[in-house]
Amino acid sequence: MAQHEVEIVISKTGEVKVHVKGVKGKGCLAYTEWLSKIVGRVKDQKLTSEYYEPEVKSRINLHQDLKTGQ
Amino acid sequence: MSTVVVLTPIIIANWPVIVAAVAGAASALGLVAKETVKEEIKQQQQAGEQTVEVELANSEVLAQNLAAGKEVVLTKGDIEIRVGRDERGRCRVCAKGKGRTKAELKQIAEEFSQKMTQCFVYNRVATELKNKGFQMVNEEVMEDQSIRIHVRRWVD
Repeated sequence: MAQHEVEIVISKTGEVKVHVKGVKGKGCLAYTEWLSKIVGRVKDQKLTSEYYEPEVKSRINLHQDLKTGQ
Repeated sequence: MSTVVVLTPIIIANWPVIVAAVAGAASALGLVAKETVKEEIKQQQQAGEQTVEVELANSEVLAQNLAAGKEVVLTKGDIEIRVGRDERGRCRVCAKGKGRTKAELKQIAEEFSQKMTQCFVYNRVATELKNKGFQMVNEEVMEDQSIRIHVRRWVD
């Protein structure tokens, strides 16, 4: 399981700064789009280094050799 | 870090939601509700009483079940603030007070509008975060009167 963190600062004028943490790749954009629909419109957006990291995907390959002995 | 976004708030809500934000702003600024909902009455302006109106540009009060002229009236000392819906459907804040200059009243009306917007955004964001399954890590009011909310959730 991954931990997603969001830090939101609502300024005294009502402007909102959202900082999404722990979400790699394009997954973080889903959060910002969701919050922009709730609050209003995007004034500024910056992608940080974690955005360019690959999303974690686990794959397990199982391989089994069966010997019948005959 | 992943992304940082700055959002400009847009207030689109029905009247009860607006009233909740007005109540929050009034409480924070020490204003008292004179009359919660009131039919607009044409009042004669008293001598020496200035009036200033501020319109919230990015706002729309949904008119469902809202009778024309409904407004919330708040007071603090000699200041009276009225919050209502104008003819174009926008939220309007009107400040008046005897012996106050227009500049003073404009500042009061704008301060109230900003606090009301902050309360509206806070109520909306807090509700949606809860619905999305986020858990509160920390919440605090900063020195500059901004509200900082820190939430987290676990996902598969």
